[in-house]
Amino acid sequence: MENKGFILNLGDAIRSWLSLSLTPGLTDALMVVVSFLAILVFVLLNVLLLVLLERKWGGFFQQRPGPNRNGPGGSLQTIADAVKLLAKEEIIPKNVDKPVFKAAGILVFVPALLGLAVIPWGKGMAAVNLNIGLFYFLSVSSVTTIAFLMAGWSSNNKYSLLGGMRAVAQMVSYEIPLVFSLLGVIMLTGSLNFADIIEAQTGMWFIVAQPVAFLIYFIAGIAELNRGPFDSPEGEQEIVAGPLTEYSGMRWALFFLAEYANLIAISGIATTLFLGGWHGPWVDVYPALSFVWFMLKVYCMIFLFMWVRWTLPRVRIDHLMSFGWKFLIPLSLLNIIVTGVGIYLYQAMGW
Amino acid sequence: MYGEGLVKGLSITLKHFFGKTITEQYPSVRPNLPKRFHGSFYLDNPKCIGCGICANSCPNRVIQLSTIKDENNKKKLASYKMDVQYCLWCGLCVESCPTKAIQFTPEFESATYSRKDILLDLFKPGEATAPSEGAPKEASQAQ
Repeated sequence: MENKGFILNLGDAIRSWLSLSLTPGLTDALMVVVSFLAILVFVLLNVLLLVLLERKWGGFFQQRPGPNRNGPGGSLQTIADAVKLLAKEEIIPKNVDKPVFKAAGILVFVPALLGLAVIPWGKGMAAVNLNIGLFYFLSVSSVTTIAFLMAGWSSNNKYSLLGGMRAVAQMVSYEIPLVFSLLGVIMLTGSLNFADIIEAQTGMWFIVAQPVAFLIYFIAGIAELNRGPFDSPEGEQEIVAGPLTEYSGMRWALFFLAEYANLIAISGIATTLFLGGWHGPWVDVYPALSFVWFMLKVYCMIFLFMWVRWTLPRVRIDHLMSFGWKFLIPLSLLNIIVTGVGIYLYQAMGW
Repeated sequence: MYGEGLVKGLSITLKHFFGKTITEQYPSVRPNLPKRFHGSFYLDNPKCIGCGICANSCPNRVIQLSTIKDENNKKKLASYKMDVQYCLWCGLCVESCPTKAIQFTPEFESATYSRKDILLDLFKPGEATAPSEGAPKEASQAQ
């Protein structure tokens, strides 16, 4: 009897309880829903934690303590923020395009959540193990672009429109290096399936084989998330809050929660593809430990994202565009060429 | 190396992350002020001879003092008011006082709720007695 670990045993227990009264097909479908709900709740809890963590770690990077008044070490700050935002009046300006305005907030959140379904959170712990998992994730995460454009356009405000246009330009131009950097990894494994990619990293993590690709993915990921040195769309000093100018209260909070959910998703992909996924010591003895290793690596990636954000100054929008098109795309193409040549030589020499 | 500044900046913030915070938790922890801090004012009434040099040296005429002559025809301080809303905290009054009667204190939390509370009255009638016999000049010679 294979040792499946605590979390998967829990899943099996739920499955057998469900199959007592339901047909096998329905049981399978409901199991996917249950596992997705579990992932959703877990990620949302993490997002709430990240709200506080960003401010605390941001403070530490700047030699100050961050929020430390609410609760020990500021741990109840997120609750204070949530209460404040719920109590705020949601002002919708008169000439705003109401359906688009309201839909934009939701539309930013949905792709991040959809992408979470395929990420392998541990050994055998992806909600759905798609054969084209990576392809699905990349296509779903591109939908956030139109949500920002909707937010900017519907706000009926020149700053929001400008911010929305900048956001779209930035996100579209950095999609290409993002995808091309992952192509190197796909060439090495020959599969888009996350489980296969992780299995191919049992001996050596792909960050060792593809360091340039990791760097390109990291930079393109920052640009995709509209954070760090690439946050021109929400540049507070320049265009107030860009496409988010007219949003207040819970609607605004939705955008920020979506940004953190996206952060977790992108860090999850980076961990899966470059940092060996859920591999780690003693995973075969305690399979539930794979979840712990995965989350540790995700938080290491999040630390890197935050480190870069709280250090580097904002990149000007035309510098940003020229960096993406004129430097990152040729570099990622070069990476693909070198990887291809390397694979061919590897096979030709019969290693 | 291209991009050297980025790496240097990142290493500095990493060091800051694991180091101590340099902020003071102000209301619960009071700051450690230097000895010559320009805060509020304190008049050492026995030392004041009522010469008026501080009032003359003030650029904004903040100090208003008056003297009376007592029964021995000696000059005594009668009142000493400072309208601190016009004060520059330049320290010329403190620097120019011949007896070091007016001094700075380290108190900096002096915001008030109304304008009339800003006026500082530093005259303390009970203490401001010049020596009953002889002028201060003679008192210092007697020392």
